Order: sequence, then C-alpha cells, then structure tokens
Amino acid sequence: MKFEKKRAQTKQNIPTASLPDIVFMLLLFFMVTTTLREHDVKVQYRLPEARAIEKIENKRVVSYVWVGRDGRIQIDDNIVTVDQVQEIMYNKRIDLPTIIVSLRIDKNSKMGLVTDIQQELRKAYCLRINYSSIKKI
Amino acid sequence: MPQIRKKKLPEAEIPTSSMADIAFLLLLFFLVATTIDVDTGIGLTLPEYVPPEEQIQAEVSKERLATLLINENGDILLNDEVVTLNQILEKLKPRIQSKIDLPSNKKLIVSVKTDSKTNYNLYIQALDQIKEAYFEVREEYALNNFGRKVFNLNEEQLADVKEKIPITISIAEPEVVK
Repeated sequence: MKFEKKRAQTKQNIPTASLPDIVFMLLLFFMVTTTLREHDVKVQYRLPEARAIEKIENKRVVSYVWVGRDGRIQIDDNIVTVDQVQEIMYNKRIDLPTIIVSLRIDKNSKMGLVTDIQQELRKAYCLRINYSSIKKI
Repeated sequence: MPQIRKKKLPEAEIPTSSMADIAFLLLLFFLVATTIDVDTGIGLTLPEYVPPEEQIQAEVSKERLATLLINENGDILLNDEVVTLNQILEKLKPRIQSKIDLPSNKKLIVSVKTDSKTNYNLYIQALDQIKEAYFEVREEYALNNFGRKVFNLNEEQLADVKEKIPITISIAEPEVVK
C-alpha cells in the first residue's frame, strides 16, 4: 500500500504586497530618531562610574567637551587649549541659549584641569553642565 | 462619419517587486548610522561668574552648611570630620531629612571643595553620594506623602517634592594661588 502525504489544496504563499509599506514605516522611524554621529573623538578617555545619574533627554542641545587621559581638551573636532574654551563656548551659547555642556572627562584626570574648564564655562555663561558618567551596576 | 476610436493602451505598470529591497537598503543604512546611546551623567548648574574683586562674602550659618573637602590623597573631610566615601550618604541623609519642613532659605547646602591634584573619579564618586542621598530622601518623602515613587508622581506632586527637597550643591570658588 502506498502512503501519500496529505497536502492542503490551497495556495501556500505569503502575501508580500504590503511588505514595502511595513519596511517604509520602520525606515521612517529610524530616519526621524537618528542623530548622526557628528564628531570624531581624537582623545582617549574612560568615563567614571556613578549610581545617581540622570539621562539627558534632548540630545540636540548637548554640546560636548572631551578631556583625554593625557589632558588634551577637544571641542567639536579640534584640540583646544583652556584659554580658547571660553570663546568657543560663548559663541555656541549665542547660537543655542539652552545649551547643556556635557563634560566627558577621563576618570584619572586632575581636578585642577576640571576646575579650570568649569571657570571658563562660567565666564562663557554656559552654566548647565553634565559630568558624563556610566551607570554603575 | 467613422467613429474615432481611442487606441487602447497596453496596461502600464511600474514593477514594484524590488521596492521592498530598496527600502530595506535604506533601512539598513539608518540602522547602522543610528546611535541609540543616550548621554547619562550627573547634572549640575554652575553659578554665574563673578570677578574676584566683585565677590561678596555671604555668611551662611553652620547649621545649614555641609562642607566636603577632598584632598589629593583621597581623604575626605565632611564638616571637619574624616569620613570614608560611603559614609557621606549616611551622614547627609539625616541632615537633609531634618530640613524638609524648613523654609527654602534654611535648607541644606552642600559645598564641595577639591584640591587641584584631586582625582576626578573620586570627585564624581563623592558627588554621586551626595546626589544619591538627596534622591533617597526624595524617594522616601514621596512614598510617605503620596504613596508613590518619585517616577510615578504627577507634575504637581513632583513640584512639591522639588520644593521641599531642593538639591543645592555648591562648587567652591577656586582660590587664587598665593
């Protein structure tokens, strides 16, 4: 006796007509949420860890200042000296009054340098700052 | 008169089968280019800059001031008492709690002062402890008064919590080296 597999008589294909629509929807989401990586970080740094940290919701008002483990300061794509910080940040604040300066400072830096940068920021009236740090688990 | 007949056009169709592929390609680009990571950290508002000759010494009563000194060796002094890093939270919490019902000009001020050679990581750890002390007090206050966590409070309640327990951290003015 021959055994035969039972097969459904209906056609067995998935309708793909709406696939582009679904993909476009996804695409749209990512296009809207994307902020492209703007900076090329030239200094090496490791952020400190902390527990009581907050998130910065609005990424577009954040401006970064990096300080590497060798003490070099980077703003935008340039390595700058402490004296230049005030002028650069002042111009940034004029363009964007609600600016938040995120300090990405290497954890083995000395406070002297951090205080110097803070003083420059105060002179430039960039008063909202954020010590960037990683969530400690 | 012979009727002018419209020529029947062959059906014109744009092939849409590859539409999905194109869309996928675009999607892939944005997926790769997106940076999801949000910036996290300890927020602080700096005081306005006042030139040294215009600075006024304001007297603050000892009762509402908690001074935190961190030197280059990593020793921490809280109100003239040597403490370890983890003790900061325990010491500050009762002081913040005792001032919940006082008017805003009597709330605690935490002043942080560091040496120029102090390690930055240590400073962040200390700041973290202070913030955590404040957050814990806020959390307890919210739970006792509204029966909810701070995260679940409505705007009015949150404003009340913030008014009762404001976070005042003062970064000491750097001293001029003589």
